[in-house]
Amino acid sequence: MIKSMEGVVGRRTVLMAMGAGISALAMPGAVRAQAADNILRFGLSTFPPSITPHGNTGQAANTVKLMMLRGLTGYDADGKLTGELAESWEVVDPLTYVFKLRPNAVFHNGNSVTAADVVFSIGKIIEEGSASFLKNDLSAIESIEAVDDKTVKITLSSPLAVLLDLLANFNASVISAESTDENAIGAGPFRMKSQERGVYIELERFADFYDTGKPIVAGIKFIAYSDENLRFAALEAGDVDLIEYLPWQNFDQVDASTTLKMTSAVGPFMFLLFNVSNPDSPLANPKVRQAIGYAVKRQDVVDAAFAGRGEELNGFPNPPGSPFDLSNPDAEWSYDPEKAKALLAEAGYPDGFDCTLLATSTYGMHQDTASVVQAYLQIIGINATLDLPDWGTRVTAGKEGKYDIAVHGTAGYYNDPDSLYSLLHSSNPSYLQSFGFKSEVIDDLLTRGREESDPEKRKAIYQELAVAYFNEVPQVPLNWRQQAYAMSDKVNGFNAFPGFLTFASPYCVDDTSFG
Amino acid sequence: MLTFLLRRSLAAIAMLLVVGTIIFSLLMIVPGDPAELLLTTGGGSTTQEAVDALRKQMGLDKPILVQYVGFLSDTVRFDFGRSIIDGAEIAEAIGLRLPRTLELIIAAAIIALSIGIPAGTTAALRVGGMFDRLTSALMALLTSVPVFVVGTLLIYLFAQVLRVMPAGGYVALQDDPVAHFRALILPALSVSLGLLAIVFRMTRASVLEMRSHDWVRTATAKGLRRKLVIRRHILRNALGPVITVVGLQLGILLGSTVLVEFVYNWPGLSGLLVTAVEQRDYPTVRAVILTVAAIFILINLVIDILYSVLDPRIRL
Repeated sequence: MIKSMEGVVGRRTVLMAMGAGISALAMPGAVRAQAADNILRFGLSTFPPSITPHGNTGQAANTVKLMMLRGLTGYDADGKLTGELAESWEVVDPLTYVFKLRPNAVFHNGNSVTAADVVFSIGKIIEEGSASFLKNDLSAIESIEAVDDKTVKITLSSPLAVLLDLLANFNASVISAESTDENAIGAGPFRMKSQERGVYIELERFADFYDTGKPIVAGIKFIAYSDENLRFAALEAGDVDLIEYLPWQNFDQVDASTTLKMTSAVGPFMFLLFNVSNPDSPLANPKVRQAIGYAVKRQDVVDAAFAGRGEELNGFPNPPGSPFDLSNPDAEWSYDPEKAKALLAEAGYPDGFDCTLLATSTYGMHQDTASVVQAYLQIIGINATLDLPDWGTRVTAGKEGKYDIAVHGTAGYYNDPDSLYSLLHSSNPSYLQSFGFKSEVIDDLLTRGREESDPEKRKAIYQELAVAYFNEVPQVPLNWRQQAYAMSDKVNGFNAFPGFLTFASPYCVDDTSFG
Repeated sequence: MLTFLLRRSLAAIAMLLVVGTIIFSLLMIVPGDPAELLLTTGGGSTTQEAVDALRKQMGLDKPILVQYVGFLSDTVRFDFGRSIIDGAEIAEAIGLRLPRTLELIIAAAIIALSIGIPAGTTAALRVGGMFDRLTSALMALLTSVPVFVVGTLLIYLFAQVLRVMPAGGYVALQDDPVAHFRALILPALSVSLGLLAIVFRMTRASVLEMRSHDWVRTATAKGLRRKLVIRRHILRNALGPVITVVGLQLGILLGSTVLVEFVYNWPGLSGLLVTAVEQRDYPTVRAVILTVAAIFILINLVIDILYSVLDPRIRL
């Protein structure tokens, strides 16, 4: 009897304790400390696979790198090219650039940023056997030398119109000559505090950053949410202050929200690629590719895959914010299924043909784009079978040409037609290019555009390129997509950069504060 | 007993070797090149030159047989090596993440047992009653709703609408105990639902069977209080099978918390495995799978030994 009484009391006590515990844990979020510690909590779309100063490992890694490492040039809060570790520069002639370094620029180890460090960093990018992202682009650098402690001279073997843009790239950062392969020492506004692979990265403010008074926040905590719905949920729940890659289906919700806001830019674009390596394949015929350009109603792709947040792209993907207006109604597609069928018939395929359409199930926007394209190809008699492997398999299939038509989306790195060089020039075949496609006309125009320094002449070259793009169809462009960052309305000073620069928007973190 | 242990240990090693070889071959067959994937993360461009340089750095330029022998000799020495993606120590990553997955599973088991056993018992004692019918239907529902649906609904309700819980993530216990348990509640609840249904049904069936035994009638007939009959004569006998099943389920859960860890951003072992597969981080994939396989084999061995201890009729 006594024993069972004890049992009852014990159980009740335990239950009460549990109840108290649960209600303590369920305290509303508002009670928790929010921006009081002045740490910006930044939700990334994926955890950076690895952080190497000069190797490209994707957008998330670029964002984190930008916080810790900076190069000679960069972008200001409005997305304008500006000096970063270089205070100024002089273009002595199209082949010679002389950079003056900022006297107060210091690395995280306390050493001043010197010309020798710049020579070391650029040297690492272009050295033999390097896996650096910009190795090819910067191969025009013939020599780089330290004139004095704070002056660097770069000599080119051929003119490079976009050198200053390339030097502002995420993968062109200046690191201390004391850096090792394991530990790169940068001169960015933040430095590494702690991290757990796959989970979070904590950075703390670097007090000796050259831009006095910046950054404003005391630190950043990057948290990776690879599930886009959870990323948005985390923002709504107040777990993070800012997220990249706002899912398109949530744009309306943020627009209507009183506690959230967003900043977006039309930048990356979607397009179709073709396997033209087999001369017997219908797709090797430019007329067939042109027909496909007329077959797809682009607004439907924007509506279905991007919730209406994008714009049709009917011709050469000249980035928004480009210095040149290359629009040319004669070199643009429209939605015209009759014309598409006529072109197909002209090419010898009046009844269409069967083919595969490669995309990926890893990214919903690629898959949805492929579904819309498949439906429109059906209308002109092309029966496309969807192939939707995971991203890794998709990349290999693209590179090995195991497809007929493929969907892809990407952006260049700066708002100049030259940033399409790596997507169109045949010297750099990759899964981002139509398999087996090579056009001497396009190659030649790209090279000439890159090596020409007179803006008027460059414009003429790229106008010609836009026409060649339309005639030879290395890609069928589909649409621009809006790329957005969403944030709590307490976050100030973070604005999306225009066009291809949208992924460089995290430069704004220097000026970001809580209000 | 000693020969049994020896025999089982040898079999376990052979089994691990087979698992390792299968995983190694599978990874070689699966398309996707880790070097190229790393350099093109998110859809960027790269050059063949850079891919080749990175492959060399990762050691993937060596012949497959050489890689296989290297893998075997490392594994035999319990050296999991480093990730080819970022050079991090793999053993360290597993040591960090395995306890979190275990914590999730154990928390889920506690929830499932503390609700499932009383509910199952009550249902069995009033079989056919309102409570029995309602809970049985509810449990059938729980087994059939996929865990990512439950997870998404819970996040929507508690994090986005009510805003009383974080949407996901993990906080180390030593950093902030309250935040730690807050982050644990929803994922543990999601994992527990499937288990809860199993515990409920096992308990209900087992109690139903026990209450019809003679000794229960005898106990009631001699005037024992109903509570005591239930606790001492029915439950004690009925819980044996429940515990066995839960034990086995825990082993299975170790490899199947993938979806919950993904939905809630819970940085456990499954998450490590999924990321490693996506990135084709071969050594990490192999190490995680070998670890899970080893734990599974160990659990089975322990269960066998426990049986022989509990039941003298079983001789090892």
